[in-house]
Amino acid sequence: MLKYLLKRILFGIGSIIAVVVIVMVMIYSLLDPIRVFAQDAVYNKTASNQREIYRNTRWKEYGYVDFVLYTDYLQKQVKDGEIDEDTRAAAAVIGKTAEDDSPETEEMVRKFTEEYQAQGYTVRRLDADVNKRGKYKNGGQQQLFAVRNRPLAQRVVEYFTGLLEIDSVHYVEEDIEDRGLTFTLHDPLYEGKFSPAIIGNGTKHKYLLYCDSTFPYIHQNMATIRLGTSYSVNTGLDVFYTMTRAQGSYVMHPTTFPTGLQEESADDLHSATYLAGSRTSSLIYENRFTDDYTVVDTMKGGLSKIGYSFVIGIIATCLAYLMGVPLGILMAQKKDRFVDKLGTAYIVFISAVPSLAYIFMFKAIGGSLGMPVTFDVESPSKLIYVLPIVSLALPQVANLMKWLRRYMIDQMNSDYVKFARSNGLTEGEIFRGHILKNAAIPLVHGIPGSVLAALVGAVITERVYVVPGTGNLLTEAINKYDNGVIVGVAMFYAMLTVTSTILGDVLMAAVDPRISFTTKDR
Amino acid sequence: MEYDYSKLGMTTAELFSRQEHSDLESEKITAPRYSYWQSVFKVFFRKKLNIVILALLAFVILFSYLYPMFTEYDRFGQLLNEDAKHLMPAAAIEKFGFSIKWILGTGNAGNSTFDAIWNGARISVSLAFICGAINMTIGVILGAIWGFSKKVDTVMMVVFNVVGNIPLILLISVLVLIFSPSFWSMVFALTVTGWLGIAYTIRTQVIIIRDREYNLASKCLGTSTIKIAMKNILPFMTSIIVTLLAVEIPSYISYEVFLAYIGIGLPDMSLGRLIYSAESAMVTPGWGFEFWSPVAISAVISVVLYVTGQNLGDASDPRTHM
Repeated sequence: MLKYLLKRILFGIGSIIAVVVIVMVMIYSLLDPIRVFAQDAVYNKTASNQREIYRNTRWKEYGYVDFVLYTDYLQKQVKDGEIDEDTRAAAAVIGKTAEDDSPETEEMVRKFTEEYQAQGYTVRRLDADVNKRGKYKNGGQQQLFAVRNRPLAQRVVEYFTGLLEIDSVHYVEEDIEDRGLTFTLHDPLYEGKFSPAIIGNGTKHKYLLYCDSTFPYIHQNMATIRLGTSYSVNTGLDVFYTMTRAQGSYVMHPTTFPTGLQEESADDLHSATYLAGSRTSSLIYENRFTDDYTVVDTMKGGLSKIGYSFVIGIIATCLAYLMGVPLGILMAQKKDRFVDKLGTAYIVFISAVPSLAYIFMFKAIGGSLGMPVTFDVESPSKLIYVLPIVSLALPQVANLMKWLRRYMIDQMNSDYVKFARSNGLTEGEIFRGHILKNAAIPLVHGIPGSVLAALVGAVITERVYVVPGTGNLLTEAINKYDNGVIVGVAMFYAMLTVTSTILGDVLMAAVDPRISFTTKDR
Repeated sequence: MEYDYSKLGMTTAELFSRQEHSDLESEKITAPRYSYWQSVFKVFFRKKLNIVILALLAFVILFSYLYPMFTEYDRFGQLLNEDAKHLMPAAAIEKFGFSIKWILGTGNAGNSTFDAIWNGARISVSLAFICGAINMTIGVILGAIWGFSKKVDTVMMVVFNVVGNIPLILLISVLVLIFSPSFWSMVFALTVTGWLGIAYTIRTQVIIIRDREYNLASKCLGTSTIKIAMKNILPFMTSIIVTLLAVEIPSYISYEVFLAYIGIGLPDMSLGRLIYSAESAMVTPGWGFEFWSPVAISAVISVVLYVTGQNLGDASDPRTHM
């Protein structure tokens, strides 16, 4: 069994990688990258050489190309100590055409060209775009840069190696004192009360491990999951963070900052991360922090995107099983009678009518009954959850009824049922003890899937009721050409599907001793 | 001995009874003549409800093709006529005089809602039928091969697991963006992976029937694989294929509506686009007709298609012919 499971998990990981590769090919290679600028006002304002630079800069951000400007190259050379500031200043100015270059520039341009051509870049020099009188046209300054399409293999490898980010004491590049980790039993944020924590210096996060009063009580910042960075949906933030971070309005609470300053603030000091030189950059930070760990998250009152989707989805799923299973049994018991026909009519309605149509119908009916129809994160009333849950549960109920009825009727005609009947068991005993048990096995297979599907959220339901959940993340990312988010969400979906099929098989084998996945047991 | 047969739940008609020997009767071949398709239709038309639904289906499909053909529909014909927009049926009839065109009022450009839904229905129904035909043909043929060959099975299972994990919305939107949104690029996007699910269902059924005893016997007697596939397995498949069609065709209409709603739709005013563009009308008092009409018509078309297909699927199962 264990060996079989390992094999399945390996296969699963393989198919996840394949999905990510296919998605990357689709969005980076098949789609014309010029589409990114369809609604970009800046792109339309820029012209000539400047537009070329802008285009490549954006493409670099979206992950299409590797792009290096000559001036940036010089800056880097200075930083690495290869050349000094005077040489840089002398070589930085390039001529309107290659012939106009000064000898210093010519020398550096040659080095730049050689270095990047060796790495597979194309070095492009855009000569000055001038009008008849020798003046620059709009955006016509001469430019020099190296650009190359990112190879797929490199992209895939970088993506998977960057999935898990482990914090280390060597994260901070600047020279700081006392690099290392401290374990304390008394978290300084709780003014000396007992609360174990690991505090790092030189790491990205200040608190690597800490306790607080919210579930699951012990939190860590040592390893961060990174599914892909967003450029337009939620600029600069990771998809996983976007999905799991709390939303809503700020929750103010009395906070004591490291300097001893006390005030009402929404800052979550446990989330502090490092930003070089930030403390001295502003008076606000200087008054509050004693080191450069100043970038803090804020505490918010609402749930995260995944939180909302999951709460709605899981309640809907539980409700669906609570309603669908008894109704399916009832339909099978009263086969061809009124209850069965009514149930069938309902199943036909749900299976055939476009889901959008009946969700709008539920919304209209619910609205006329006085239910709130748009989701408001700030509202204290729990009534706002009712309609999304009902809209999600009712189709699931129909689905469960359909299959349970089918399976039970199939079982009713089998030989063992006839045998049980001839042995004198009552119909009730046969139904509960034999038919239901056997008919429920295929349904058990679907339970992990429907629980995990709650994490993904429902596109239409969330859109119709304006629920701030995960369902719309993918469509939003597609509309905004946010490639990082698309890859991240696709990966997340693939992980959930693979996990739920494996869990479903395991659960089915656990429920039914006849099912075995190893040839030896058979 | 006298039994109380009713207590056993039997009638006397079910019991054996003595028959007089007749030379003439014993010469007759007693099995009734059996023709598969005749029996299918006999079973199908036995239910009166099926006739009604079939008539409704024929009406809906004919109307959605014929009505737009014989009437002029100009979506922006009254764009500048402010008084003609968002009219309730009564107001529209009063304004333009009674005509079938105005019985559902007018839309956001002063256009006739009645014309709009039938034009939309034509596009949606065409899309559903074309996609259904393509997916079914590819799915059934490849599914049969998939089920018969063990080598193909190992390869196809991997393909199925990988492709099944690519979000469909992403695939469709990327394909539509590559080929620029048009009717045929939508057809391509819906069929490029759509057949996989059908092929998988067919494959499972083929595997179940393939190794039954009678096929084994047939194989031992030297019947060729093609003949086994055509004569032994295909008849079993007919009802499954028809039932699948009943689920598939409405699902394309549903999917088209869904895609239009999230913004990846057809350029033409299909039912999905109509619902999408009239969404704001749902909550506006007095504008309800322009939103609910396309919703209702898409629901009616889907239900009628679904029920016809399901019942035809039941009728084409040879076990119901007795």
